[in-house]
Amino acid sequence: MDLRSGVTRREFLGAAAGMAALPVLAPAGVEEVRPGRRRMLQVNGYAMCAETPLDALTTYLTPNDLFFVRSHWVSQAPAPGTWTLKVDGEVGTPLELSLRDLKAMPQATVTCVLQCAGNGRGFMRPIVPGVQWNHGAVGNARWTGVRVKDLLDKAGLKAAAKHLHTFGTDTPPGKVPPFHRSLEIEKVREDGVIALAMNGEPLPPAHGSPARLVVPGWAGDHWMKWLSRLSPQAEAQKGFYIDVAYRFPDKPGDPGVVFKPEEMHPVTDLFVKSNITDCPTKAKVGRPVTVRGFAFSGAPDIAKVELSADGGSTWKEALLDRQHDPYAWRLWSFAWTPTAPGKATLLARATDSRGSVQPKDAVWNQSGYFHNAWHRVEIEVVA
Amino acid sequence: MKRICLAAVLMALVSVGAGPKASFDPKLPVFAARIAALPEGPGREIAARACLTCHSSDILRQQRLTEAQWAASVKKMTGWGAEVPDDEKDTLLKYLSSHFGPDNDRFQPTETRPIGR
Repeated sequence: MDLRSGVTRREFLGAAAGMAALPVLAPAGVEEVRPGRRRMLQVNGYAMCAETPLDALTTYLTPNDLFFVRSHWVSQAPAPGTWTLKVDGEVGTPLELSLRDLKAMPQATVTCVLQCAGNGRGFMRPIVPGVQWNHGAVGNARWTGVRVKDLLDKAGLKAAAKHLHTFGTDTPPGKVPPFHRSLEIEKVREDGVIALAMNGEPLPPAHGSPARLVVPGWAGDHWMKWLSRLSPQAEAQKGFYIDVAYRFPDKPGDPGVVFKPEEMHPVTDLFVKSNITDCPTKAKVGRPVTVRGFAFSGAPDIAKVELSADGGSTWKEALLDRQHDPYAWRLWSFAWTPTAPGKATLLARATDSRGSVQPKDAVWNQSGYFHNAWHRVEIEVVA
Repeated sequence: MKRICLAAVLMALVSVGAGPKASFDPKLPVFAARIAALPEGPGREIAARACLTCHSSDILRQQRLTEAQWAASVKKMTGWGAEVPDDEKDTLLKYLSSHFGPDNDRFQPTETRPIGR
């Protein structure tokens, strides 16, 4: 991993550019978003789905009430006083733990990005069905709770267990398949957290109160809300939301080419992506303007963010904020000075710590996952 | 933007004859923004009855699908229990394709308040 060299490079660039880094937040603080930007965009009245407008995603920690919400069904939030989390399956000692029990265990905190696998689906061409997310089904938060490793150790995880089956209390009507999932034990044991708190507050109902699974670096379909049961098993879960949905082609074809489920694999690591969140719509030749944004990936860090004002022929590096945690996003800023009047287009692309580069065009896939084409904004430049 | 309370939202749902069967837990946040009615036209009542049990009209109104894509969606949803008698399927398909086809550019997400804690 090249995390260490990345930091050195950023510090060097920051010093070389003679620019101060953006202010670092107080450890417990969630910076406020400007009042005029504090609103959400409803894309489903029920079950609740809403995205955050990009211009509200300007802080390192996304405030809870501005954090995107994705729900498959009209959910029933368990009452925290009577709720329990069951652990069964390939374990030596099945457990049933109350919220108090979980709070009495060692608490861990991770700060990382949560992104819906379908974020950006609305930009896929040809058009695909599903929630037509734009850019805002993503946020960065501080999650606190019990490490999955600690819980599985307490239950006596058996060697036969390879997949963690996850269940929540949301129950669909009729014959609609339940949103039951599973993921590799290796990943979730290494990085997973049973989150009881989000940005220092009890987990809000819309985000899975009293507990949700946090899987740093992986798409939101793994982050089970209203968690009720964890069951380590030798095999993966069966069902629509494993066998059919949330799958990505093994070898993607041209746009419009559809694959069978067995030609696809579950979506896991997020694709590297950068968005512009702050940019003036008008500028003047010779007067610098500041453009800001965020960048994240399924890799633990972002190595660089670059901007282009000439359609991608040449790129210049943005200044990355120092504030970071593994799998969290990086805020960045870029000073751009227009040189000619007319309509200008700024492009942003990120490169992650594993060397993956955000592509000009997203990889089309039939479910519209992981859209990460270069983000573009237009600015009107006057003389 | 006009805001209305939860009770009014539920009444609005009932008024199109398609309120969700699952009961809302009042502790859970539900959008207090208006949930738009489906556009008028033959098949509207079928769509309301079959589709709005599990999700709001937003989901339909934001789609831009070809007739073949709508046919696949209807097949998937009826397999999941959406109630569409065989003699109503064509009407439903025409309704969905004509209102929410590839040239549908009318949908804008509803701007709402931050989501309550």
